[in-house]
Amino acid sequence: MQKFISDAVEFLPILMQGVKLTVIVTIGSLLLSTVLGLVWALMRVSGSKVLDYSARTMVNFIRGVPIIVQLFYIYFVMPDLGITLSALQAAIIGLGIAYSAYQAENFRAGIEAIDHGQIEAAQSIGMGWWMIMRRVVLPQAFRIVLPPYGNVMIMMLKDSSQASTITVAELALQGKLIASSTFKNTSVFTLVALMYLCMSLPLMFLVSRLEQRAKQGRR
Amino acid sequence: MIEIRDIHKSFGALHVIKGLSASIARGEIVCIVGPSGSGKSTVLRCINGLEAHDRGTILIDGVPVDRTHGSIVDIRTRVSMVFQRFNLFPHRTALENVVEGPIYVKKEAPDSARRRGRDLLARVGLADKENAYPNQLSGGQQQRVAIARALAMQPSAILFDEPTSALDPELVGEVLAVMKSLAEEGMTMVIVTHEIAFAREVADRAIFIDQGVIVEEGPARTMLAQPREARTQDFLKRVLHPM
Repeated sequence: MQKFISDAVEFLPILMQGVKLTVIVTIGSLLLSTVLGLVWALMRVSGSKVLDYSARTMVNFIRGVPIIVQLFYIYFVMPDLGITLSALQAAIIGLGIAYSAYQAENFRAGIEAIDHGQIEAAQSIGMGWWMIMRRVVLPQAFRIVLPPYGNVMIMMLKDSSQASTITVAELALQGKLIASSTFKNTSVFTLVALMYLCMSLPLMFLVSRLEQRAKQGRR
Repeated sequence: MIEIRDIHKSFGALHVIKGLSASIARGEIVCIVGPSGSGKSTVLRCINGLEAHDRGTILIDGVPVDRTHGSIVDIRTRVSMVFQRFNLFPHRTALENVVEGPIYVKKEAPDSARRRGRDLLARVGLADKENAYPNQLSGGQQQRVAIARALAMQPSAILFDEPTSALDPELVGEVLAVMKSLAEEGMTMVIVTHEIAFAREVADRAIFIDQGVIVEEGPARTMLAQPREARTQDFLKRVLHPM
């Protein structure tokens, strides 16, 4: 135990640098996936067959390819097409796109949960499609979507470790580097696991609070 | 002000409206009655373009109803609708429901819209409920908020789609009373309803629709008391004496 604590004191500063990158990757790809996911979802409910079909194809495409392969593609293949990205940029874009597919399905479910009668009522007072989305549908869908959105945040935090495969020195990779140079596998990986838990447990707590609130708020 | 000329409407293979024409003058109160599935709600929904008719024309003050055309917004602000299931916005208070259209569609100043909104809530007897959310109101109260919401658009006409059918029997009266007061003030109203007694008392004209066509129409008082057509007689008998 004492050994572990002294190792922890020694490695923590280096691991914290990894944490910083983990947080940057998570937040960056969360934002990107949210925006993209909302775009796919709105295309799917737009009522336009062309938009619906394109979004559906896009989402299936993204869901059908492993995240690692998408990351490899963006980091290693894009330069051949003349687009060079830093490892961090590639990780955020890759994870953001990969997760946008899940976000889209989640958002769409939330949007479609809104009673169609309300949409007709909004139409009947002269609202157009965008205004109905903005004033009637999205504010309500937001509450429905919040708990699953929290779960996506947690998955994203953990999956940010996949950025290590394209050399982003986030928490998991930082840990692996220390472990392979010091051979203190037990201390290092225990520490890494604990640090992930420290970040994800509060999120889980938040999600369960949101779920409770959603349940109480239901009519 | 509302001119319906030979409209047809199908849902897939189901031919719901089969050539229907009617004309509703400003200030007139018309009740549409008929068995369920006869197409009476569909006619109403075609008038403000919630449903697109397949053939024929509907004119509102001379402007054709076309839900793909920009003019539909103007038509909908002129012809409001009250729904069977109220369809209030559950995330907004009674007053917010009422002022939503004036502020965001008609771009009225929020202060004057709210002042008008409070007056309208008072008019439907809900002055003390402006901050209540729809789920805190009874069905009858919700429907009265919905009527205030329709009135807030300052429409020339209001379409009522079975406004009391989703209400508990003891709450029907309060909604009908509000509708009656509107009628007395000269509002143009088209009402799809099963409340025959109300129709007889308030409406100028009654239209009986069955299987997508008008079977009979005439002054509400006489037609709903002594219908000429056998189908109308049969229908009224079943509505008035269900046992």
